[in-house]
Amino acid sequence: MRRPPTTGRVLTYAGLIALTLLFLAPVVWTALSSFKDRTELAARPPALLPQTFALDNYTEALSRFDFTIYLRNSLVVTVSATVLTLAINSMAAYALAKYNFRGRDLLFLVTLGTIMIPLQIILIPLQQVASQLGMTNSLLGMIIPPAATPTGVFLLRQYMLTIPDELVEAARMDGAGEFRIFLRLILPLCRPALAVVTIFSVIWRWNDFLWPLVIAQSQDLYTLPVALAQFNSEEVVPFNYILAMSVVSMLPVIIVFLLTQRHIVKGIAQTGFK
Amino acid sequence: MKPWNQRLAPYLFIAPNMLIFGVFIIYPAINGFVVSGYDSNNGRTFRPVGVDNYGNLFGDAEFWTAARASVIFVLAFVVLCTAGAAGLALLLTQPIRARGFFRAVFFLPVLLSPVVVGLLWGWILERRAGALNSMLGADIPWLIDGRLALAVTVFVGVWTHVGFYTLIMMAGLQGIDGSYYEAARLDGASAWQRFRFVTLPLLRPTTLVVVILSLIAGFQAFDFIYTLTGGGPLGATTLMVQYVYEHAFRSPIRYGLAAAGSVVLFVTIFALTMLNFLYARRREAV
Amino acid sequence: MRFNRKMIVGAALLLAACAPGTNDSGTNSSAQNHLTYLYFTDGPDEQVTRALIKDFEQETGATVELQIIPFSELSQQLQGRIASNNAPDVFRTDTLTGYRDALLDLKANGQDIGAQFMDEARDYISGPGGSLLAVPSDLTMNGPFVNLDMFAKAGVTPPSQPWTWDELIANARKVQQANGTAFALAYDKSGHRFSGMLNQFGTNLFGANGVELDAAKASAAIRQFAELHQQGLMSKDFWLESGTKYKGAIDIFLAGDAPVCVSGNWQVSQFTKVAKFRWAAMPNPCAERCGGYPGGKFMAATKQSANPQLAAKFVAFMNSRAAQEKYAKEAQFLPTRKDLIASGVQYPNRAEDMATFLADVKRTDKAGFASTYSPGFSPTATTVVKELAAVIAGQESPDQAVTNIRAAAEKNLR
Repeated sequence: MRRPPTTGRVLTYAGLIALTLLFLAPVVWTALSSFKDRTELAARPPALLPQTFALDNYTEALSRFDFTIYLRNSLVVTVSATVLTLAINSMAAYALAKYNFRGRDLLFLVTLGTIMIPLQIILIPLQQVASQLGMTNSLLGMIIPPAATPTGVFLLRQYMLTIPDELVEAARMDGAGEFRIFLRLILPLCRPALAVVTIFSVIWRWNDFLWPLVIAQSQDLYTLPVALAQFNSEEVVPFNYILAMSVVSMLPVIIVFLLTQRHIVKGIAQTGFK
Repeated sequence: MKPWNQRLAPYLFIAPNMLIFGVFIIYPAINGFVVSGYDSNNGRTFRPVGVDNYGNLFGDAEFWTAARASVIFVLAFVVLCTAGAAGLALLLTQPIRARGFFRAVFFLPVLLSPVVVGLLWGWILERRAGALNSMLGADIPWLIDGRLALAVTVFVGVWTHVGFYTLIMMAGLQGIDGSYYEAARLDGASAWQRFRFVTLPLLRPTTLVVVILSLIAGFQAFDFIYTLTGGGPLGATTLMVQYVYEHAFRSPIRYGLAAAGSVVLFVTIFALTMLNFLYARRREAV
Repeated sequence: MRFNRKMIVGAALLLAACAPGTNDSGTNSSAQNHLTYLYFTDGPDEQVTRALIKDFEQETGATVELQIIPFSELSQQLQGRIASNNAPDVFRTDTLTGYRDALLDLKANGQDIGAQFMDEARDYISGPGGSLLAVPSDLTMNGPFVNLDMFAKAGVTPPSQPWTWDELIANARKVQQANGTAFALAYDKSGHRFSGMLNQFGTNLFGANGVELDAAKASAAIRQFAELHQQGLMSKDFWLESGTKYKGAIDIFLAGDAPVCVSGNWQVSQFTKVAKFRWAAMPNPCAERCGGYPGGKFMAATKQSANPQLAAKFVAFMNSRAAQEKYAKEAQFLPTRKDLIASGVQYPNRAEDMATFLADVKRTDKAGFASTYSPGFSPTATTVVKELAAVIAGQESPDQAVTNIRAAAEKNLR
């Protein structure tokens, strides 16, 4: 049975469509403009569509280096760092959420504090540390340091607070070991929150620029964002390449997002931060 | 007394993560704090200067301009992100058609690199025949007028980040048990009353998460502003992070001054975050 | 949460333990017979650099690894890598300021080649005790480009000999009107580019004896520059829209919004590729003096290099006569070697435009070189942009701007 739409619903859709335009239009325009050459890009007023859908920006930029190596490095770093993030972040979050121990509040504060330190500002001392540990010029150096994301710990801790303590106590009564409880009871309950952290981690690691640039000094260790930024010279910033390359690097993350979108939303839905 | 394994377990659980924090974030940050007592033009040879860097920092008019711009930016950013995310989350949890599509749309800007975001909006908002002014047939100095440029910067910041917070807000909304609404409905509460007396209070813990994360993100906003306005016009959108960054890496390099600036920045963010937590704890939200 | 005294003492000890500073005695980890070369590219120079590296490898049996990074990260990368004993063996840079103490003496490592390069750069590349810290690897020259199609339409012929500033302005205005373009002139937003105008107006930021900047002359240059903006001949927005960050005027030129654009020879290869109209380089305009403004890049090796002799040899090889000639030809760069400057370089493309720039090198007052090679130059260039923006926005008088620029220059030289 069809009911006539109420004023509220009409307004809801009107609002949604207007907002969608605001959010989608610039992104679509980026994609369209990535086919324009420099002169077209500089034209005022700018045209909506490129004169031709020429692939020059893509082919020229990509032919300047070995794309597959950088793609492989990016994949290795993103996947391993994300796996590591999930493991150590959830363990830390579990300790902060479900145990009472000396120094817990301090460690939670430290976690929060580390979100607040921008990478740009600690870059030189950080480089010294990485170098002393022999981590420069290795994939490991790109994977381990960024894996301990404070935001991930924060989000997971807030989620775990909602799991009733009684569940943990009951498992202990049954004689389960501490690690077993974490692995078999807590992690499955946190699956939705873990999915959220997975997505965030994939996005962060895939787009990381400054840290891989610092660590990867040999070109065969460059990740995509680092390789793509090589075009930016002193006096000429090739906007046409930048656009094309940002489309290239955006595509995989969009695909990951579209595939897991349902899962994130559902994941977040069950997270219910308390 | 708890058995030993229960006492030891939390330390073992937290150790790997904290080890990485300690080595790769906290130690370098302490190092940065120490550097604020020195003068250096290259980050490797240091001359102790006591608290001079702080003196110079607080005596620098540009620092105060940046601090003022930062406060305005962060206030607006946090309020708009939180309200915007709550509004969008409310919309997107309604039973609407193509909900998955709409949710994806608002998340898209999160995926764009901040550098591209800045370039893109800079290009849309150019006064002379930028896309927006061409479309409006107007001559609005979006990035030329200082106040307008700061407002634009806030807008672009919110545009980029709001999708991220919307996801978190949706979680909070959907986590609210439907039975509360049922009860309110049975008591004859109007839609507005249900929102005001059920949704808002139960959403408070989620709001805290969003406020804190957006507060921190706001104070750290840099990349997209650098490509959008470059901190201009005439310094109107130069925020504290850019001030610090430029002293650390753009000639003339004043590394110690930059370190002092980052200490001040850190203390500010930390204090504000703690205030939020205390306020929330008082209201029994945490 | 409780902070007890133990924690405070602990924190204090921790702070004391990490007083900054590094041991400079370290060497990087380059293997024997292997070099790393940190490089930023302007585009066409990358291929020829790779080709030259191959030649070097064949000749010496060594291996060289090219590490290309974006220019915007160069200073950050170098500082960090030197501070962490991880410096590249050799690098390309736009300035030596901030790195001098970390540079290898090429002379002491078997390459006493300083005298082969133009004398103007000599003081800048020399270190204490007659050491040689770097060599200039290419020279740049600022200069105007014109849109020939637009000039033809207006019936104006671009000159082969320099115009005066007044002639340039009058003609640019004429071409602007004939073509209905938005602006007459576009000028890179760069303290370096404006230094060219200062030099033409008879003064410079720095001279051989420190800060030079003549108040009356500088003020006249700034007034003229600001007037061009106020009269709408140049884009006011361009100076305000992106802060003090460098912004190239070439997009305005390429889009056909201005018939004249002041940039420099490094744009030649770019224009060749993308311009959709006929164009040419034109001699710089004269006021009190003629000529443009020089700049350029350097190549240096670091003390941390595990293979100092090889590193020095590589620097010498890449800047040998044959190598530099090839490099300049392919990338449309200007030479820095005395022998090449004397004999000239036969450019396969756009030879006339390159000749125009070379002629301007010869017209450029020597004081311009002293200024551009002053250690205070690059920090002061940022201030110049900031002050120009304030004048163009009408917030400051030209005289006030000169006072501020002078103060910054003095501070930066100390």
